[in-house]
Amino acid sequence: MIIVMKTNSTAAEIGAVIARVQDIGASPHPIYGAERTVVAVVGETRAFDPTAFKQMPGVERITSISAPFKLASRESHPDNTIIQLNGVRIGGPEIVIIAGPCSVESRSQLLETAHAVKEAGAHILRGGAFKPRSSPYSFQGLGLKGLEILAEAREIYGLHIVTEVMNSQAVPMVAEYADILQIGARNMQNYGLLHAVGRVQRPVLLKRGMMSSMEELLMSAEYILAGGNYKVMLCERGIRSFEKYTRNTFDLNAVPVLKQLSHLPVIADPSHATGRWDVVPAMARAAIAAGADGLMIEVHPHPSRALSDGPQSLKPQVFAELMQQLKRVAAAVDRTLELPTPILQGDDQ
Amino acid sequence: MIIIMKPSATSAEVDSVVHRIRDLGQDVHLSAGEARTIIGILGDTQRLNRNSFEVMAGVEQAMRVSQPFKVASREFQATDTVIDVRGVKIGGEHFVVMAGPCSVESRSQLLETAHAVKEAGAHILRGGAFKPRSSPYSFQGLGEEGLEYLVEAREQTGLPIITEVLGASEVPLVAQYTDILQIGARNMQNYRLLQAVGKTDTPVFLKRGMSSTLQDLLMAAEYILASGNYNVILCERGIRTFTRFTRNTFDINAIPALKQLTHLPVIADPSHGTGKWDLVAAVAKAGLIAGADGLMIEVHPHPAEAWSDGAQSLKPQRFAELMRDLRALAPLAHRLL
Repeated sequence: MIIVMKTNSTAAEIGAVIARVQDIGASPHPIYGAERTVVAVVGETRAFDPTAFKQMPGVERITSISAPFKLASRESHPDNTIIQLNGVRIGGPEIVIIAGPCSVESRSQLLETAHAVKEAGAHILRGGAFKPRSSPYSFQGLGLKGLEILAEAREIYGLHIVTEVMNSQAVPMVAEYADILQIGARNMQNYGLLHAVGRVQRPVLLKRGMMSSMEELLMSAEYILAGGNYKVMLCERGIRSFEKYTRNTFDLNAVPVLKQLSHLPVIADPSHATGRWDVVPAMARAAIAAGADGLMIEVHPHPSRALSDGPQSLKPQVFAELMQQLKRVAAAVDRTLELPTPILQGDDQ
Repeated sequence: MIIIMKPSATSAEVDSVVHRIRDLGQDVHLSAGEARTIIGILGDTQRLNRNSFEVMAGVEQAMRVSQPFKVASREFQATDTVIDVRGVKIGGEHFVVMAGPCSVESRSQLLETAHAVKEAGAHILRGGAFKPRSSPYSFQGLGEEGLEYLVEAREQTGLPIITEVLGASEVPLVAQYTDILQIGARNMQNYRLLQAVGKTDTPVFLKRGMSSTLQDLLMAAEYILASGNYNVILCERGIRTFTRFTRNTFDINAIPALKQLTHLPVIADPSHGTGKWDLVAAVAKAGLIAGADGLMIEVHPHPAEAWSDGAQSLKPQRFAELMRDLRALAPLAHRLL
């Protein structure tokens, strides 16, 4: 931490800051410049709120120099974290594809989608049973019944399932059905929920909040890691900007930056990041090229009839074509994406 | 400037940074901590390039300690700058109101508005003769003809005038007519234009760019000051955010923050800050209370027929009501109005 004193700060004010630094058990290193004095604070200062120094007379500002996240940082864990599910590795050289509808709407809709994404080569099935909708009057999800349908799809197609959990009380119930617990963007800083998923031994897919910095995302991951659950994957899903043409602005920078800062797997969600099915394939390819460990893509057999997120959902055939392209992009960046032998598409489009 | 070494930096890496600093003719202060070493560069470091240290082996970060703006800073001048425009004082204890239409559309429209705002108590008349429009097909302003109408309005009402200058080559022409040169938000970082107005002795009204930080704004002001023109007025006019209900998001924090950082007068523009006439009065009053030195408000006799910015223009009567409210509030903000 660096404490920058005001140009007109007095010797007494500087002395008080130095004494306070010593009080918290760190060592102060004052640098007396021609214009102003700076106090460099060396030692363990994480346990102290650095903003408290701002209240002291003569202090202009505080700058921290070490990253506040520890367990999530590359420094503490130089090797990539690889999350093992039965038969699927997340964070290894293989690209992992998560696909499925936004919401579980009915048994037939989910099974039809699961069949299609499995055939196209997806590894994990997504589908929301509990939906965080901006309006309380919108479809809120099928709840427990949706979880049962997801479990049935897993039985039939051998896909792992990821679904969102919205509150801490629901964690045990959702964890009973899901292979991966999803924390949605709106809940990224719901610390009670982060604590709750930190105490279960289910992998967690943590989506970046729409106004969250990467540091805030990593601090949220830190909550889960500090709770004892080390199986956390991060998800970039677009951030809010002034641009109105797309639903969100896909922050592609976040992919290589998060890989640099953290050892946790990074998944990109081009569906939410763009909000438009016709730009999803381009952003999906870009994310793999940028180093993402996997993708989460919304697929719906009949997007125009979807109860949520229709405009950003791919039809199964478009998704299958995208998978072929992704395989080639993955190879170009020394990653692998194994696809099942291509099957001729039926006349469902 | 402070250079923070990585915890893993070797003593050879620290030495080479120290040598480099000494080679540049600067003094060094070394703090070798247990975890990491921090190197302070003493003296004037304005000319040093931060990045040239960051690429050196073992360096984690190089950071500037002093503000990059000098002449604009409160440290350079503790007392408020007060600018005199034909007897109207901007800055200090005075509260100044600039009002008028977005664009000068015709002689009669401008004169009608000028008399109305004068009667309501405005001090300065605004009106655009050269207009920066987002579409090249929109009305671009009356040009020099508009400047002539502004001068005529000044002669009739006694109100000094402010109008925008769009390009460096037009500065002499516009300066010949106007009392204050306005630099629009889209031109805040048009450095050639800033230097051109910096070479005149006409006061400059500098609007904050829609995605500019306060430091960016102060650095733009610094360009004008460094060119020799010390009569610079800053204007907060809203910044771009994700919210769509208002045209811009008025950054009220900017007012007290700028007053802290600089001695230059700070004007609030609630018309552009909101984009909606029915929000203008509330934000105008908030601007006064927050410590602004004045307001710039768009007034049009017939907003529904305005060629530009009709939605954010006040009718003369509403403007007069706002002026009454402002006069009642001014003593609370220790201002003369």
